[in-house]
Amino acid sequence: MRRDFLRLCGLAGLSFACPGGLASFARAAVKEEPPYAGPFYMVFNASGGWDTTYLMDPKGINEMNRLYKEGDILTKGAHKFAPTDKHKTGGMSNEEFYAEFGSELLTFNGLDYSVNNHSPGARYMATGKLDSLAYPTFAALVAAAKGPTCPLSFLTFGNYSATGNVVAMSRVPYLPSLQKIANADHIEGNVKSPYHEDFALARIEKALAEQREMRAATPLLPRQERAESMLYAAQVNSKAMARVTPHIPTNVPKERLAQQAEIALASFKAGVCVSANLSIGQFDSHQNNDVDQMKLIPEFLAGIAYVIRRAEALKIRDKLVIVIQSEMGRTPTYNKGNGKDHWSIGSIMFLGPGIKGNRVIGATDEKQFGVALNPQSLALDKDKGIKIRPEHIHEALREYAGVADHAHAKKFPLGLTEKEKLRGLWG
Amino acid sequence: MDMGRGTSKIPLMTLPIRFFATLLGAFAFSVAVGAAELRPYSASGCSVVDDYFVNEVWAKVAAESCLKCHKAGGDAEDSKLVLLDPARLTGAKRAEALHASRAAFAAMAQVKEGNSTRLLLKATGKVKHGGKEALKPNSAGHKVLAEFVRLVNAPSPAVVAKASAAAEKNAPPFFSGVAMLDDRRLLRRVTLQLAARLPTDAEMSAVASQGVKAMPAILDALLKEDGFYDRLREGFNDIFLTLGVDGNPDQSLLSYEHFEKSRGWYQNTNLTKEFLEPITDAKERQQAGYQLANDYRKALLAEPMRLIEHIVRNERPFTELVTADYFMVSPYGARGYGIFGEVKDKFKNPADPFEFIPVKLKALTGRSKSENQDSATGLYPHAGLLSAFQYLTRYPTTETNRNRQRARVYFLHFLGVDVLELAARVGDAAAVSAKFENPTMQASECVVCHKTIDPIAGLFQDYWRFADAGVYGKRKGGWFTDMFAPGYEGEAMPGAERWRALQWLGERTAKDPRFAVAMVEHAYYLLTGRKVLLPPKDLEDPLFAAKRRAYAEQRKQVEAIATRFAATGFNFKQVLKDWVMTDFYRADGLAMAAANPARRAELDDLGVVRMLAPEQVERKVAAIFGKGWGRLKHGDGGLDMLYGGIDSKEVTERAADPSGAMGAIQRILANDVACKQTALDFSRAPSDRLLFPHIEPDVVPGSAEADAQIRRAIVHLHQRVLGRFDKPESPEVERTYQLFAGIVSDAAEKKNFDKQENYSCRQSLVAPVPDPNYTVRAWRAVVTYLLRRQEFLYE
Repeated sequence: MRRDFLRLCGLAGLSFACPGGLASFARAAVKEEPPYAGPFYMVFNASGGWDTTYLMDPKGINEMNRLYKEGDILTKGAHKFAPTDKHKTGGMSNEEFYAEFGSELLTFNGLDYSVNNHSPGARYMATGKLDSLAYPTFAALVAAAKGPTCPLSFLTFGNYSATGNVVAMSRVPYLPSLQKIANADHIEGNVKSPYHEDFALARIEKALAEQREMRAATPLLPRQERAESMLYAAQVNSKAMARVTPHIPTNVPKERLAQQAEIALASFKAGVCVSANLSIGQFDSHQNNDVDQMKLIPEFLAGIAYVIRRAEALKIRDKLVIVIQSEMGRTPTYNKGNGKDHWSIGSIMFLGPGIKGNRVIGATDEKQFGVALNPQSLALDKDKGIKIRPEHIHEALREYAGVADHAHAKKFPLGLTEKEKLRGLWG
Repeated sequence: MDMGRGTSKIPLMTLPIRFFATLLGAFAFSVAVGAAELRPYSASGCSVVDDYFVNEVWAKVAAESCLKCHKAGGDAEDSKLVLLDPARLTGAKRAEALHASRAAFAAMAQVKEGNSTRLLLKATGKVKHGGKEALKPNSAGHKVLAEFVRLVNAPSPAVVAKASAAAEKNAPPFFSGVAMLDDRRLLRRVTLQLAARLPTDAEMSAVASQGVKAMPAILDALLKEDGFYDRLREGFNDIFLTLGVDGNPDQSLLSYEHFEKSRGWYQNTNLTKEFLEPITDAKERQQAGYQLANDYRKALLAEPMRLIEHIVRNERPFTELVTADYFMVSPYGARGYGIFGEVKDKFKNPADPFEFIPVKLKALTGRSKSENQDSATGLYPHAGLLSAFQYLTRYPTTETNRNRQRARVYFLHFLGVDVLELAARVGDAAAVSAKFENPTMQASECVVCHKTIDPIAGLFQDYWRFADAGVYGKRKGGWFTDMFAPGYEGEAMPGAERWRALQWLGERTAKDPRFAVAMVEHAYYLLTGRKVLLPPKDLEDPLFAAKRRAYAEQRKQVEAIATRFAATGFNFKQVLKDWVMTDFYRADGLAMAAANPARRAELDDLGVVRMLAPEQVERKVAAIFGKGWGRLKHGDGGLDMLYGGIDSKEVTERAADPSGAMGAIQRILANDVACKQTALDFSRAPSDRLLFPHIEPDVVPGSAEADAQIRRAIVHLHQRVLGRFDKPESPEVERTYQLFAGIVSDAAEKKNFDKQENYSCRQSLVAPVPDPNYTVRAWRAVVTYLLRRQEFLYE
């Protein structure tokens, strides 16, 4: 009930147009919510711009790749990928990744990022909107729509993370941090040592609720309304943090993505989190492209694999949706420093329940330009097709997640006509 | 309840500008003056056509679409339409520029070609236009231009005048119905925010007797306190992030090439013996050595923000931010630069690691002659922050980046322009990249930005050292020839100025009107924790007009303050004082709920309503309770990062809203601070108490006298913790009373409760505080309740 109510409240930015105003919000928000049960969304970002020709869009022609030729390109089902097993210095090769996950993986090639710079590219890929700073990322949007009362509804570990004021962003830098805050009403988190006896704490909560109710009857500026709503929700919902404790692993992994993943997975498992942005950087290989990409792509894939395997162990894999992206691609040619510069064409990959794997949609041509696509049939159509840009992907993602018609999504429209929307992307 | 809010129909003590439409042809405006006569850079139109041009054509189309190319130095500078950017002009020149632009547009609007006009055909790319299709037919922008064409060709000035008068009459004042902070709460906000303390009794009395007229003198004194400078440095680091230099600062900042012999002085026993030799215990000496190194590094990192403090503290022109021909150095830092012997006599206390003085560094001398720094004066060409080692290291270059990141942050930090913020979509970016050998100089889509950015990047050319290699050094083979040459907004840098290129840049920056505006925007960020509004872009948005108005009103205020800032010698304190007195700072509620979506959109960003950052929470706890909490301090492995803090490196933006994790920290804070402070306060003599000076734990609810005493105690707590000025019979006090009395009553019903506070909450007491009636714990619950409230956690 309360979640529905809060969803209603969130229709226009958490507190706008709440039926009954903030007073009813305050009354409704006293009870603790049951754990959020999924689906869980994880967006992996290769920050800096990945070289797609060394992963899911291999070329090997026109001197685009020095580590392999066209004839070396490998396949797994519908997927074509670059061979990296001999070149990786750690992590997971493409061969291993596709062997394990290719059947579940959906790849989109030929995505037109439209810009060549990190900052706007990251914003565009994260939100689906290039020319606005106000839009929430997909991860934030889905968190606000599906789990507005979760204490860590939207976790981020980097990358563009704007929320559009629809949900609070959570940053949890270290696993032990979760332990520190799990039992806020107990001295040093020790459940045997409460600060206040139960009857006193109950009266504190009652007084706070009454005070909120009175504030709700006062005409407030929109910023004040939002602040009151978010503060109250944060404190009430924080009690659910206690659920995280049993899921915090005793061993902290060393790998960058795995560390982030453990925090997110523990939060998913505890039902206190809907979505997470995971990110590793240094993909911006203007110099020595092949060395950098061969270090980072395997690290990136290993991180994704780690998440999927851990999700399996935690029994939440069937609820885990994974988006794998970067803010730009890299040029078809090498520069004088053996690097590759920014390129506005790239790829994105997906994996999760309801996403039919073993598929590749879209394409780039022999010069690594995007090939136009018929959004209705998903067939390549150089003459009558359209360029597929982040807003197309985001619209499809919103539909896939079931939030396209949510008020939050409508508040941040992507401006596509029905004819422009991708049909059947998820299979 | 007395929340001290007044409703303002006409903004109080503010700097509002009310534009008068006139048909006289001059861009006239009047200023409704409260505290000061301030004139903005901008001016409104002179007729409906001109109003329309300024607010619609210029704001929505020309500034966004045309100006990028149609300006001196732009890609279309050779076309017949060359516009002047009003943002770079002031006063009459600005008005003239708008007037000239309007005339140029009007001329094109009057040239008929077929069924349309030249203006519309150009904009839609139907006739030869370098920018091709700048506007889609029937788009909102196109409709704006079409209406302009209609108005320009309309025959009757009378119709225009009538429409103008109607439009003016229908617009209610922007702050109409907005409730303002009263003077006492304004005072508390200011003292806590800027000096980390509560108002003094004298200040309260002054405000009580003189009202807001007392504020200027109070502010003048406040802005001399050390607490203010702590906040100033912290706030500006949020913007410049110079504390975020990677690695050990002594090695990141001071290159082996130029500071080989001095940068590691703390490891040289001869140079540290004055500090360490007196310490006989080996372990203590080792610890002192570590502390020495830490203080040295901390002092090195602190230099840029100390420069800001020095400028503001001494009320020097804030333009020194980019023109100061000195830098700030500490005794430890001076040793690192190898200049301690020269400057030690200038320090008041050469042993103080954090005393900073202004010093001019000599031109750098390298281990090899080729690394010697060019200098016509023999001095390092200091240019404020621009040439600071910390700034250059925090924003490094790479072989392929070519100082463009530095150019980007330069524009952002000193001119308030984010060149990447709303980057224009390129029709086919990949095709452009492939088509041109050098797109940044050849493709119009790229030239638009690069013609502005690359000349600035070139000015940093002699600071060409990568990570951990210091900052100064020339690029082998000379500067890039496939970039636009070094210069500033169309002005080429003379070759003779190269050795002092950053000074050359700083001089021009200081004269650019955008500098003053950017600094005023920084001040807004310091005070509110958020950036000023950007102009709305989506012309199709049904709330566009409302959002545009909100932006325009705030912009007028920014520019009015910027004008005074420039006119009064760039005294940054004046900017803060001006902001504090505006309705933007004082807005605190509504007289009645705003249901109209357009009005809500206008008010959407109004009000400070800022969740306190971890450091601010710590300071507020210290101000109220006499001692900080400690667990939100930065860098101690505490909870500050989880509470939305920044590390100035990876995490550079503070959280604006509380997550559930932060809600948990708020609970911990409230529980823990109340635990540590309640019994402790009772254990002091009443005259020394901060929280309970007029009540004892043996006062229990029940009698009229006791209840009155309890209510007075609550009034005191509300004022001290929340900044509320409630009356004893108010509903707020009643609620708190019920909390207190209810807990005491609940406890009384329990037979065997402990007769003293719990163990953790009775530590470090001045004297034992028994709790036979459970009142101490009930008061602790009250303090917990107050600390969890918005009035405490926000400002």
